[in-house]
Amino acid sequence: MNEKVSAPISFSQLASDTILNFIEMQGEAAAVRINVASASPLDPRYEVTLIDPEEKAAGDVIFHVEGFDVVVNSESLKVLDGTRIDWVETLTESGFKFENPNLAPIGSKPLEGDLAEKVQQVIDQYVTPGVAQHGGNVTLVEVRDEVVYVQMGGGCQGCGLASVTLNQGIEKILKEKIPEIKAIEDVTNHAAGSNPYTTGAK
Amino acid sequence: MRLVQTHIRPVLNRSATAKKTKIGTSQRVLILLAKTTYRAKSFMEAGRKLGLEISVGSNHQQSLSELVPGSSLLLDPDDIITSVKRIVEFHSRYELSGVVAAEDDFAILAAAAAETIGLVQHSLKGVSVVRNKGSMRERLAGKEGHAIWFQSCDLSEDISSILEKTRFPCVVKPVSLSGSRGVTRCNNSEEFMIAWTRLKKILASEGLGKGSDEFLGEVVIEEYLEGREVAVEGIMDEGRLMLIGILDKPDPMEGPFFEETILITPSRLSALLQNKLMERTEQIAISLGLENGPIHAEFRVKTEEVNLLEIAPRSIGGYCSRIFRFQPESTLEELILRHSLGRQVDHYRSQGGSEGVFMLPVPKEGKLHNVFGIEEARSVKGIKDVEITLPTGAQVLPLPDGNQYLGFLFAKGKNPEFVESALREAFSILSVEIQ
Repeated sequence: MNEKVSAPISFSQLASDTILNFIEMQGEAAAVRINVASASPLDPRYEVTLIDPEEKAAGDVIFHVEGFDVVVNSESLKVLDGTRIDWVETLTESGFKFENPNLAPIGSKPLEGDLAEKVQQVIDQYVTPGVAQHGGNVTLVEVRDEVVYVQMGGGCQGCGLASVTLNQGIEKILKEKIPEIKAIEDVTNHAAGSNPYTTGAK
Repeated sequence: MRLVQTHIRPVLNRSATAKKTKIGTSQRVLILLAKTTYRAKSFMEAGRKLGLEISVGSNHQQSLSELVPGSSLLLDPDDIITSVKRIVEFHSRYELSGVVAAEDDFAILAAAAAETIGLVQHSLKGVSVVRNKGSMRERLAGKEGHAIWFQSCDLSEDISSILEKTRFPCVVKPVSLSGSRGVTRCNNSEEFMIAWTRLKKILASEGLGKGSDEFLGEVVIEEYLEGREVAVEGIMDEGRLMLIGILDKPDPMEGPFFEETILITPSRLSALLQNKLMERTEQIAISLGLENGPIHAEFRVKTEEVNLLEIAPRSIGGYCSRIFRFQPESTLEELILRHSLGRQVDHYRSQGGSEGVFMLPVPKEGKLHNVFGIEEARSVKGIKDVEITLPTGAQVLPLPDGNQYLGFLFAKGKNPEFVESALREAFSILSVEIQ
């Protein structure tokens, strides 16, 4: 059964005007479905589509914004609560911009708290000396929900074996020293390194 | 006529054999990766998903290896005897249940180590034969369906005596280079001499004449085969081919150079030809001694004729392997690891639909300044991803002299026609600035 609730998502005036324009251009009644395609804070992805107002699935949550209905499935809603949607148009791109407090970009929050401090200590004591011998470095970017996000630099950035250093080295050391750590994620842009591992054959 | 299935299936009817699978303990696989690999991440993720203990063997000392015993091993793929001894000694401390070579460079070492320890792998003899294009052709010569003309020679030989024996049109293939690097079609002796000179220059940049590799100057000259090119991807399991997929290459590859662009699966070839390709792949693999492990074969197909270009004891490269997805949810790397442990993989099925990749060619020599239109290309219906893998500022060189792709486009859709159209549309949007 569908549930109609007060809006957990807000729209800028420009975003709601743009949606109303799209609906008008379509020439028939429509609702807006918003879906979270990927809830990874490394690469959050959203989908905005116009649907038939009757095209609703069990468990969908529906709320009314000025002039149109918004349909969100319950899983997406958990991630979207408190999100503000804007419409951005520049010379090179245009689209909806999601400001989602639940999926703030990695690195946008300050490094603080006991866990982050412990992780930093382990990196300083064990990881940094080891990778420095190979001309590399590892920077702690953020610790969120017991997941450690690191950036690799120097000789590690673009190295073909960077993921081996990450999984076989950094992850094992951190998990051994700090058992509550669930996972380690690499946020490095390896293609920007001086020796990207993706060059070469297919 | 048998119907072609779009999923992995055994070609031969054989009763299921009991697999040697250790139950209840965490198994360890040694993955052999070159320093310049581009496959580490996909194998690491596969190992993690399967809950395996992974050890990495490489020609590069791992920076944190001393702090994590058993995690890695320094190996030299050119010193097989010493490296096998190291692996055997490692095995005595950290029991290995499988060994996998992620790329060509380590294929012989993987086979030698597996043979010594008693693990699932292609035979050392078979891998040694196919690692050299010349010895592979010699081994297949005279067998049914392999009546193509070829000769093996060395760049140090007198070109006029080689030309006397050469038939045209032919293809000149350097034995030591991978991909299509240096491979050139020649229609006459003038073109041959140009190709020969070009090849000497390419191989000089790889150390030819410096005594670093005795096979570096080896060349195979073989008959040019007409027809469309296709690739067959599979895993040989005790002499049976389990098909991963047949990949069409819809762009004509008629030379003079053989730059690969689009790969699409499933194939649009007739069921008859697809079955012929599978049967031929299996026969060739068996006759060469490649009976247990991944294989990647390339063929030319013309009307009813199927001719082998090459077969390798490895899977398709890391980026292109993404176009294969299986049910239950798995990647090609997971299947390879599972197979190396002696686990069953023939119940995996393709996820259906069609997938393709466009390997973006480097258009000219120079310094890469920018690639425009990436977001627009990404928004083309059916495009899954656009990855530009060369960094801004990189010096780039097109084939046949270079060995790099600019990046990759990936597409998915209901059928191969849709996927090909999406890839071509996205490619047409991209523009590259090289100065």
